[in-house]
Amino acid sequence: MNDPKLERFLASLYVDPDLRARFLKNPNEEAVRAGLNPAQCDALKGIDRVGLEMAARSFARKRENKKS
Amino acid sequence: MGAEVRAEVTAEIRDAMRDRVGLGWRPELAAGILASLDSIDVIELIADNLFDSPERARALRMLSSQTTVVLHGVGLGMASTLPVDLKRLGKMARLVEFLKPESWSEHLAFVRAGEIEIGHLAAPPRTRSTVEATAENIDTGRKMVGTAPKMENIATLIDPPVSDLDESEWLKRSVEASGAEMLLDLHNLYANALNFGLNPSDFLLRLPLEKVRQVHISGGQFIGDPVSRRLLDDHLHDPPDPVFDLLEELAAVCPNPLTVILERDGSYPPMGLLLAQLELARQALQKGRARERSEVGTVSGVAVC
Repeated sequence: MNDPKLERFLASLYVDPDLRARFLKNPNEEAVRAGLNPAQCDALKGIDRVGLEMAARSFARKRENKKS
Repeated sequence: MGAEVRAEVTAEIRDAMRDRVGLGWRPELAAGILASLDSIDVIELIADNLFDSPERARALRMLSSQTTVVLHGVGLGMASTLPVDLKRLGKMARLVEFLKPESWSEHLAFVRAGEIEIGHLAAPPRTRSTVEATAENIDTGRKMVGTAPKMENIATLIDPPVSDLDESEWLKRSVEASGAEMLLDLHNLYANALNFGLNPSDFLLRLPLEKVRQVHISGGQFIGDPVSRRLLDDHLHDPPDPVFDLLEELAAVCPNPLTVILERDGSYPPMGLLLAQLELARQALQKGRARERSEVGTVSGVAVC
């Protein structure tokens, strides 16, 4: 089971704009690089792209609010 | 004893364990809350704001001796395949011991992965693995704190990737596997239903409603362009009418007394408006209970005939 790797990858996608940009250009390459299994890599190709960007912006605002 | 009389007695017993409405404690609302304690049945405190602030915790212990208090955590991230952070859980255990709230709650979310802090509640992949791991984390919480947390459904802007269960099935399995009771956030349910093309009422009825003991209501706003807009649960707006409709529906079918908490995290309106929203919640509960009673009466009548 490599679900902790998957959670780590998702958390990174949510907080790291550079990784997110690379991933959206080539989802499979970044998922493989993160050590995810083929089924997970395959599922990530169909990620909810609109939701990913919205969620990432929302999380970024929350982190900023916590700093202030 | 006839069936109709039995139904009436059952309703009276349930009324004795009455539904309650309350408000989330925020420093900006403190004066208004303290002046309105006779209209607020329960106050919900955010645990994480008190973990490292003994002065605040001491002040709120006074409050917990005057009124019913429940504690709400936002940072444990228990819906994760990684073990819950024992240091944070220890803080929760000490706070529960200190404040002696009626209950404590957390979210069915992950908030970090190792050193990566997401900053807010994220929906985990909805899989059998996360169901099992969530149940283990809740069990750890139960052992350290002494009681199990009530677990809350979260709002999400992204349909969580790599999921093989839908949200209602994942929530049902997570609650069943852990044995925890549920804190049902109706605005989170409403937002997810709108964002992912579900009927909110159908979604509600697919949840394990017999496990629901607490309810959150709040509001939000639509974000994004008109074609792909989504409802963000921001707690900065009034609860919309459909949330009160969902509360009425819930009260019509849920067998448990419910504690409903209004959450507001900013853009604070006058206290009178918040109290009016609590009154709307009370009315929705009463309407739902009346519907339930009339439906039980009808069924009983049919059974007698």
